[in-house]
Amino acid sequence: MEVLAHGVGTRTDLPIPMGLALFGAGAAILLTFAVLLLFWRKPRLGGVDAGRPLPAGLQRVLDGAPLRRVLQVLLLAVAVLVVVVALTGPDDTPHNLAPWVFYVTFWVGLVPASLLLGPIWRVVNPLRLLHRLLEPALPHPPGAGRLPDLGLWPATVSLFAFLWLELVSPHRSDPAVVGWFLIGYAVVHLGLSAWFGAGWFAAGDGFEVYSSVIARLSPWGRRDDGRLVFRNPMAGAISTPARPGLSGVVVLLLGATAFDGLSRTVFWQNGPGASNDPISGTVGMLAMIALVTAMYLLGTRLSGRLAGQPTGVQPRRYAATVIPIALGYTVAHYFSLFVLDGQTTWILASNPFGTAGTDLFGTAGNVVDLSLVSAGAIALVQVCAIVVGHVVGVTLAHERALLAARRARASDQLPLVVVMVAFTFGGLGLLFGF
Amino acid sequence: MTIRRAHVRAALAGLPLALVLSLTGCAGKPAGTAAATAASGTSATSSASGTPSHGREQRIEVTFAHGKATGDTGRVQVAKGTAVTLVVTSDAADEVHLHGYDIEKELTPGTPATLQFTADVAGVFEVELHHAGTVLLRLQVS
Repeated sequence: MEVLAHGVGTRTDLPIPMGLALFGAGAAILLTFAVLLLFWRKPRLGGVDAGRPLPAGLQRVLDGAPLRRVLQVLLLAVAVLVVVVALTGPDDTPHNLAPWVFYVTFWVGLVPASLLLGPIWRVVNPLRLLHRLLEPALPHPPGAGRLPDLGLWPATVSLFAFLWLELVSPHRSDPAVVGWFLIGYAVVHLGLSAWFGAGWFAAGDGFEVYSSVIARLSPWGRRDDGRLVFRNPMAGAISTPARPGLSGVVVLLLGATAFDGLSRTVFWQNGPGASNDPISGTVGMLAMIALVTAMYLLGTRLSGRLAGQPTGVQPRRYAATVIPIALGYTVAHYFSLFVLDGQTTWILASNPFGTAGTDLFGTAGNVVDLSLVSAGAIALVQVCAIVVGHVVGVTLAHERALLAARRARASDQLPLVVVMVAFTFGGLGLLFGF
Repeated sequence: MTIRRAHVRAALAGLPLALVLSLTGCAGKPAGTAAATAASGTSATSSASGTPSHGREQRIEVTFAHGKATGDTGRVQVAKGTAVTLVVTSDAADEVHLHGYDIEKELTPGTPATLQFTADVAGVFEVELHHAGTVLLRLQVS
């Protein structure tokens, strides 16, 4: 069955109204100057030592093995069920749970879950449980020592593979494709974790890294003394460790979402993407990622040069400031998918194998209500997400510049800020449909 | 003194958020105005395309032959509430599917098939041939 631009879905959003697009663009510009000129002139967000600690008892439960094991067992059971349904359940996408659970409830749902609860996938990751079970039978991981140097680069590979499946692969919504992808993903990452040790998941499991990156903007974090804390999300984002590859992860996420936006425009559908084949999709996706990467490198390096700092470290230093922008894009593009087509998961969950008369949760007879959120409300959420992401990004970049040089001039930040404004205009333009 | 400084600091820390919220109209009072602009934007388009959409009708025709769609292809605009008649003719046996509204119809070669529905859900929806895997057109209901 043929599908829409993203993994699954029955509809895409209307282009946002011109007025709202211009309003968003104007607000972005105005707020950018407010951030640069009116905000603090000394670093003040706090860093790794910021936050109000949670009660020690609560932390013991949250950090304790029992809670994690129980959640991992539950998630493993769900994952196994999804794979079995994918391979043996109904053949057609509208009636098979797996693509909806995987692309909508899991992948899109990982964003609000990580934003509200912190790096949740790290805690519940069923692959970590499997690795733990296999570990006694494995030799000492020979590659463990190399892992720190690799940083998050392995995760960019893993995320690219998933994003290509979701946005380009012609049979992405096929239940069997989803089932085999999940099996392949588990096998590959268990193999790599056998080589690199349990540390692999935080560096190479794309889903876990995605969740952890988004969770930098959650109000929960871990202080440098190991305490779980409640903190200003911006303090969490600014204290993101500048690991190698973090910039790769953020530009990949931003570029892929931009491609998803592009593929929904009339320009793309009637122009370069008219053939709707993997070649045009792959080229389009790579082009958008390359464009975002080039702009980001240019902005960070130019800013570094103006400030008289070594340009080589700049992309990594500022990578965390792009997280809110990437998050804004994600919310703008997938909010409606999650609320509208996401209903399908809960309907199909009542009858995962499509057997006549089965209705586990009494939802099997429900139909997706596509008018649950009005087009006007969707457009408003989209523009707000892009603009708020932009402002938080510019604010973080401002703080980051002050951390790098206490007497940083506002003008030094201009190249990166101009690039961020370009990302925002690009994001609004894609929503407007150019 | 220290208390006052802490207050100033707290106020400063709150400033970005307050600015974001007030200027983007994402919370509090400004939300109303922003929502109103959004609403007036959409209502302006629908009123421009005809007052109360009751009684509006639109006929869309598309033909699929030799692997190519002709007629009303690409992005077809429809005002919300319009009674749409979608006529599809194919030179091969196939099944046409309007996504979202979830209307399907069998196609016999050379015989026009008619899909009738009221376009009452906003969004962009694909009209697609299942076997050929071709998107005939995209219906933009706004």
